[in-house]
Amino acid sequence: MAERTKGYKELFTEVIETGLCALCGACADGCPYLVYYKGRIVLLDNCTLSKGQCYEYCPRTYIDMDAISQQVFGVPYSEDEIGVTKEVFVARSTDAHIKEKAQYGGVVTTLLSLALTEGFIDSAILTKTSVDKVPTPFLAQNAEEVLQCTGSNYMACPVVARLNQVPRNDSNKLGVAAMPCQVLAITKMKKVPPENRVNISNVKLIVGLFCTWALSPDGFYQFLAKNLDLSQVEKFDVPPPPTNRFDVYTTSGKLSFSLEEIRQYALPTCAYCLDMTSEFADISVGSAEGVAGWNIVITRTDIGAELVKVAKAKKKIETDRLPSENLAHLKEAALLKKKRALNEIIKRTGSTDNLLYVRLSPRVIERLLEYKWIKR
Amino acid sequence: MSAKKLNKDPLNLIITGVGGQGNVIISLIIGNAFVKEGYLVTVGETYGASQRGGPVMSQLRISTESQYSPFIPDGCADIILGMEPVETLRMLGRYGNSSVITMVNSRPIYSIDVTAGQAEYPELQSLLNTIKELSAKTWVINATAEAQKMGSPVFANAILIGALIGSGILPIDKTSVEAVLRETFLREIVTNLAAFNKGFELVK
Amino acid sequence: MASIDIDAPGTSQLFIGNEAIARGALEAGIGFAAAYPGTPSSEILGSLAAVAKKSGIYAEWSVNEKVAVEAAAGASFAGIRALAAMKQNGINVVSDFLANVVMSGTGKAGLVLISCDDPSAISSSNEQDTRPIAKWLDIPLVEPGDFQEAKDMTKWLFDLSEELGTLCMLRSVTRIAHARGNVKLGGLPRKEHKAYFEQLHDLKRVTPTTFMPVPSSIRHSFLHMKMDRAREKFELSPFNRYVGPDKAGLLIVTCGSCWLYSQDAVKALKLDDKVGILKLGTLWPLPEKFVAEYLNKSQNILVVEEIDPFLERSIMEMIANLPPSSPHPTFYGKRSGHLNAYGELNPDMVIKAIANILHISYQSRDIEYGRKAEAATKSYVPGRTLTFCPGCPHRATFWAIKNALKLDGRNGLVTGDIGCYSMALGPAGFFQLRTMHCMGAGSGVANGLGKLGQFGFNQPVLAVIGDSTFYHAGIPALINGIYNQSNFVLIILDNGGTAMTGFQPHPGTGMTAMGEPTKVVSMEALCRSLGARVELCDPFDFKSTTATLLEMMAEGGGAKVVIMRRECELVRSRKEKKPPYKVYVDPDKCIGEACGCDRLCTRVFQCPGLIWDKKAGKAKIDDVICTGCGVCADVCPQGAIIKEKT
Repeated sequence: MAERTKGYKELFTEVIETGLCALCGACADGCPYLVYYKGRIVLLDNCTLSKGQCYEYCPRTYIDMDAISQQVFGVPYSEDEIGVTKEVFVARSTDAHIKEKAQYGGVVTTLLSLALTEGFIDSAILTKTSVDKVPTPFLAQNAEEVLQCTGSNYMACPVVARLNQVPRNDSNKLGVAAMPCQVLAITKMKKVPPENRVNISNVKLIVGLFCTWALSPDGFYQFLAKNLDLSQVEKFDVPPPPTNRFDVYTTSGKLSFSLEEIRQYALPTCAYCLDMTSEFADISVGSAEGVAGWNIVITRTDIGAELVKVAKAKKKIETDRLPSENLAHLKEAALLKKKRALNEIIKRTGSTDNLLYVRLSPRVIERLLEYKWIKR
Repeated sequence: MSAKKLNKDPLNLIITGVGGQGNVIISLIIGNAFVKEGYLVTVGETYGASQRGGPVMSQLRISTESQYSPFIPDGCADIILGMEPVETLRMLGRYGNSSVITMVNSRPIYSIDVTAGQAEYPELQSLLNTIKELSAKTWVINATAEAQKMGSPVFANAILIGALIGSGILPIDKTSVEAVLRETFLREIVTNLAAFNKGFELVK
Repeated sequence: MASIDIDAPGTSQLFIGNEAIARGALEAGIGFAAAYPGTPSSEILGSLAAVAKKSGIYAEWSVNEKVAVEAAAGASFAGIRALAAMKQNGINVVSDFLANVVMSGTGKAGLVLISCDDPSAISSSNEQDTRPIAKWLDIPLVEPGDFQEAKDMTKWLFDLSEELGTLCMLRSVTRIAHARGNVKLGGLPRKEHKAYFEQLHDLKRVTPTTFMPVPSSIRHSFLHMKMDRAREKFELSPFNRYVGPDKAGLLIVTCGSCWLYSQDAVKALKLDDKVGILKLGTLWPLPEKFVAEYLNKSQNILVVEEIDPFLERSIMEMIANLPPSSPHPTFYGKRSGHLNAYGELNPDMVIKAIANILHISYQSRDIEYGRKAEAATKSYVPGRTLTFCPGCPHRATFWAIKNALKLDGRNGLVTGDIGCYSMALGPAGFFQLRTMHCMGAGSGVANGLGKLGQFGFNQPVLAVIGDSTFYHAGIPALINGIYNQSNFVLIILDNGGTAMTGFQPHPGTGMTAMGEPTKVVSMEALCRSLGARVELCDPFDFKSTTATLLEMMAEGGGAKVVIMRRECELVRSRKEKKPPYKVYVDPDKCIGEACGCDRLCTRVFQCPGLIWDKKAGKAKIDDVICTGCGVCADVCPQGAIIKEKT
């Protein structure tokens, strides 16, 4: 794993100014020098330290995938499309209230609420969409507050920055709903615990989300503001291919944009991301393409499995088998993201010896580059 | 009152410190005391923008013969009263000579250059030793500490005046200075007089 | 400590030059004094205002120097002796009126202008010698050589002004204005001032009783006649004198504070019998006959003056007009490079010049000692950079400005001008200030920048201005920004007084120079009535202030106003003896140089009340310096700075 080898200067020259920044928030709000503001990481003053936690925990400075995989699962990183899994299935909330507000099956909301009420965690860091549709990290302390955070707006949100703000002597158990890049950052923090900020061992549960790309909270937000009245928006959705649409549901009806038009607002860094299913979370949750109103759920760790077990026992979720066709589809999509990312990285650096921020074993590189598509 | 002839004419006295310490009050009191006794006195001050945390100095020229300029020529100070150690050394560097007599308040005031980590404040004892090496005679007065005991660091002014007069290095009477003190310190006159007398004690 | 109105004629008092001038005005029986605060002139009006009521005179802080001189002229027109005082920049502000009033002439009562220059710009933005304006506009000019002359010349100038019917000028410098010296007092007149504007046309006087510069040819030739008359009087003035041998190896021609330096230098070199000093007090028009008489005292002439070679040039001009048989001595001074043509002089510089010309050496102290002393100072003595006082609201304001500009992200800039806040060009204000010129210049410059949108300019512009400066020069710039729709935010730093010069009151404070309550000219009401959006902020509330600045910058549109309102700490601490908070650092919470802080409070925020304990590796509060404002508690990222209400 990366040592605390460099500081904020290199963070800027290697990541933020090169289009690699995912706005995950790992560098922000943990010190007075780096803060997140309206879609940017802002340097308020110069720090004199040549080595900093900002560089150390950034998921785009140094990821040795084997080391991460060993840390979380005890096995090296393989070319498995959706990473290490215990169980893969579909699920949805049994709570009508949640289902009404949820993006798909409401599983993230349900599991985190349950984790709170069952005492797995005392509070959860989520993304809350404000009235004017700005995504903001939020610390939820009960089911009510978790419910306020349902729904996706597809924009990056610096959730880890909120984690950085938890005081070091705060002993509450924490859960986080995180994007794949944020899961990586938090995993880095678990390897070399932060100093003078949040006690990382209090993070007991990470619910990872599926992600293909995230949109810029600066550029995309301005695009939305220009094209519609944000106060009327109720929900965003990207329906499964081949629809090629970005839908906005407002109080006065649905508005659609072509995915091409929207994709220009995706963060450049997403093109270099290998992780579609949050492979290092305790539980990963995403949409079940072709199965409306349900989530695909992947449990990966003991605590993930435990929580799902309790959820099923308490009838908070109903589950079902994931049809093999859908599983193949999921794997295909995940693999495609890996291949694309690797190809983009190699195109940018010009060689398989320099993979920007990521370290992969030669075997994995070879397999990913050669992998044939899985036929149904 | 006709002024007594001075052993050295003009007598050159520097009072130095940091903006806000009350440098000007001391020079005012001493200057007025000498004028009352019939001397020609010129007091040069550097203040204004300097007050904002910068160094300040007063230069007194005391004479029976002529009205001297408000500048003591380099290397010509007879007495240096320093309200702050580093400023005292700064004055010795420019105005000191082998017969200069120095009285220094021991309490450092750190400039932002120092607190920001861009400069070092010298170790106090070695700083005081350097001051002693560059002076014919030196008094170190813990005026700020004594003033804080009396209720506020501002009383350091009166303590230092008392020490200066009490040391006998200025050819002026205690009574003349006391009279001027009463005219000057309209508030807190009792404490200031006590501080003045404390200064006397400290040099005995 | 004598007040300037002490009734003790014949006694000697220790006055600063400014007090001596004020005393001279009282002895001359003035009735009216007006000024705008400006270092080193402020104490003139300040001391007059302190005794005004008792003395039955009127003294005011005018909104700017132009109004001050115009108001004083009004008093002169109505038969009341009047004085206006200012620093060198004030002369610039008044120059248009001066150019007109020298033509119109003054009234039955004298009108005296005091200009206090600041050589080396110790407390100024620029350095400037104001004497040349006397030559430029034809104003009789005197320069006192010591504190006694400061008083005596001021008193005499009123008589001169009345005899000539024109404004007369006295020029002083910091080292006379702020230095103290013996002044023998004269008597104070028991005068009853009676003001009346004569409507009669008085043909006997040189100056008719309408006060206008027209018709210009008549007025201009009258002015020349006045100057000729002034020269005649100057030829006989006791303010010009010679001290020294009959034949000198070197003749020093000097004026002003340089007279004292020259005397000091000659004494230090023990050359009283070899070097003569010709001291001039009446500088313009130059008393040419008088000067010509003394030019043959020596073949070598050293002219010593501050700042420009004004006297030097006048004498050379004069010599060019003398008959060819007259002596042509060798001149030394600024032109020859023996003295700097910039900055203030001092006895050491004059000593060096004399030693150079006469080829003598001079050692003030033992060489060994000198070497030791200089080495010790170099290695030991840290710098003392100027900063805002502890508790100053400007530090908090610029902290919020710095953060807001960084968050905004468009590379915004701050334009400004003169006052305590000028220090924002340095670490005190986090290096935020990008332009600084004369009073109100920041707002003017912002106007230009705010109209460059059509050329692709999109950087936010913040113009900072002090409260007193706003009334002085900022209002026209704001009106321009509203009328011409220039995109900038005017930030008025309202600390309740004219702080840098000594907390004098201004139109926003509700108090006059003479200590009387008066109408408050509300700056927010004024700005709103002009049609600008106005927001009031407390600079100590970082969150709210930063958010307001961000919003104002994002909004765009024409000029708008943010008023940062919080009292100057030096004023507050005089009024309320108790500090608002007891502030201390909890060493258990302080993480010092570690990642997550890196000494933010001492290294970046740099309030002098915060010091660094190197041994412990923690920040500490210096309880001698700290004023208990508590702002640093909000700066500390670890909540290690605790503030407790006292």
